[in-house]
Amino acid sequence: MSETLIEVRNLEVRFPIKTKGLFRSKTVELRAVHDVSFDIKRGETVGLVGESGSGKTTVGRAILRAIDPTSGHVIFHGPGGDVDVAELEGQELRAFRQRMNMVFKSGPVELSALTGEALRLFRPRMSLVFQDPYSSLNPRMTVRDIIAEPLVAGGIMKNREEIDQRVREIAARCKLNLEHLRRFPHAFSGGQRQRICIARALVSRPDFVVCDESVSALDVSIQAEIVNLLKDLQEEMGVAFLFIAHDLSVVAHISHRVAVLYVGSFVEYAPTRSLFFHPRHPYTHALLSAIPQADPEAGFEPIRLQGEIPNPLAAPSGCRFHTRCPFAKPRCKEEKPDWREIAPEHFVSCHFADDFDFARPQG
Amino acid sequence: MDAILTVENLTISFRTDEGTITPIQNVSFQVGRGKTLGLVGESGSGKSVSTKALMRLLPGTAMIAPDSRMAYRAKDGRTIEIEKLARNGKAVRRLRGGEIGMIFQEPMASFSPVYTIGNQMVEAIRLHRGLGRRQARAEAIDMLAKVGISSPEARIDQYAHEMSGGMRQRAMIALALSAGPALLIADEPTTALDVTIQAQVLELMGGLQQDLGMAMIFITHDLGVIAQIADEVAVMYLGTIVERGPTKEIIRDPKHPYTQGLLEAIPSLESLDHRLKPVPGDIPSPGERPSGCPFRSRCGQAIEGLCDKEVPLETTFGAARAVRCWLHEERGRSAA
Repeated sequence: MSETLIEVRNLEVRFPIKTKGLFRSKTVELRAVHDVSFDIKRGETVGLVGESGSGKTTVGRAILRAIDPTSGHVIFHGPGGDVDVAELEGQELRAFRQRMNMVFKSGPVELSALTGEALRLFRPRMSLVFQDPYSSLNPRMTVRDIIAEPLVAGGIMKNREEIDQRVREIAARCKLNLEHLRRFPHAFSGGQRQRICIARALVSRPDFVVCDESVSALDVSIQAEIVNLLKDLQEEMGVAFLFIAHDLSVVAHISHRVAVLYVGSFVEYAPTRSLFFHPRHPYTHALLSAIPQADPEAGFEPIRLQGEIPNPLAAPSGCRFHTRCPFAKPRCKEEKPDWREIAPEHFVSCHFADDFDFARPQG
Repeated sequence: MDAILTVENLTISFRTDEGTITPIQNVSFQVGRGKTLGLVGESGSGKSVSTKALMRLLPGTAMIAPDSRMAYRAKDGRTIEIEKLARNGKAVRRLRGGEIGMIFQEPMASFSPVYTIGNQMVEAIRLHRGLGRRQARAEAIDMLAKVGISSPEARIDQYAHEMSGGMRQRAMIALALSAGPALLIADEPTTALDVTIQAQVLELMGGLQQDLGMAMIFITHDLGVIAQIADEVAVMYLGTIVERGPTKEIIRDPKHPYTQGLLEAIPSLESLDHRLKPVPGDIPSPGERPSGCPFRSRCGQAIEGLCDKEVPLETTFGAARAVRCWLHEERGRSAA
């Protein structure tokens, strides 16, 4: 558990945006992710929460290199030796490809520097589960072909029998019927489809999977079932998850540690219990107060934040939250707060975090 | 109860290639004037189909059974029998929007992308309330301000795609309310929103409801949301209401095994160390409805020889609560 799998250092993602001017168009940069640093350990689940537009998905995709980070490092620690795949090019890389398994079993690898071939070889170690189980499955492929696709596309396995074997094994783990493998996705319910997506993500035995709003579209009962399944699979296979969701109670149930994102920056990162019961950042506190409780006796007094989420094109100076923070002081407007460790493993970015402890009653 | 809407024995069937299916069976409920009814259930339980029937928005393949009744008390005091209206007649068009408003989960689908928000609101206000163009515009600006949209004078001339998700949702509420409905059907209006925005929208809807004295049917699968906004709850499973009653009582003391299961499946911060408890199994499709009690295929307490043979009767507890489960009937208790 304590071994670090992924190190994210000063990750920065910017998108160029063309705006219409009167005579000519102007290009401005949208800073979707700004100076994000954190670690993910082997076999752990890190939850990522924040309002829409805060950059949750962009962080997940930048780690997978599904989009290119503008700057910063994403370092992947494979088990075993010490070969840096990031430096490999041309001939050397092709030679390396022959010993592919060695590539994957060596590390650390700097993902943000990988390109083309090397990146394609690397991908099977990581995977992604999407939000919508209806649109992320090809309706013309059988479930068997869908699950087998990462193996075929990544060139991991060529032998049809081997592939079948692996698909059957992962399908059984994801509680899919072997009978189902011959059918097409339209015949399945939402929960079953999401299990197919999970099987596809795990078939190449990755070390790391990004689950992007994977349970958000599901009913509460199916949601509980998928959360349990992900936890079981993690225990069996030792895979690490980055779990992105806007439903905070679900994140609390599945994650070991949780990070809170606000307009592209981390405001707090802590072990689940500390974050939910002793939040130190005013934004985390406000976010938690807005969770509706099923108990009608429990008080529901969401903290009303002033105004809207700022436009990332014109992010506020200093602390990005100062425009909506009920505790903001002049210093917050001028000076960007440091990212600091306020308690063991509890990181926060707020000048006055020492003054706050928004403790909540613990059940 | 002073009911604005009384639905009795609503049964809806669809003709499909595989034969006739009946996604809604014998549904009865009432909505009190100015009150909120929460409609809860998994996808496929028939929540949306039954409310679409109230607006006569079902496709032509749908058949409403002859003994179904949907009685709506209009603003002028007349009772409208919705089931008897012609599907595309004038009377239905007056009902939609003006008497019964509707908001949906996806606001982008309710707005036309080629007209401004203001264009669409002014049209609705003029049509349903007979105001002049200038008055209607003033009314629309007023309504946008009421739902908490800043600088409504400028926003009114924007298109739906120029707004953020939360603002669009609020604009849609303003659009639905601008026609002045006495009953609002809200179909998962907050499901796609962030918790902070969701809290704002819920607060807003609760407040507006009090100001306007409007009744609401609030459809959601989130019991946390229901607990905050609904006076009464009806729990639907596979096209039937299995339990109904006041929200507080149902959440504190659920009587139907399905309601109990739904409540237990909710992830809560109080039980972080426990494994989540899903309701076992999947909801069957309406074409594969089990005989007897529809929930028996997933119920841990099903009684053999009773639950698989006969549809449970409705057992009442006091004036307001009712449950359809053999466990609460004499015959079930003696057999168990």
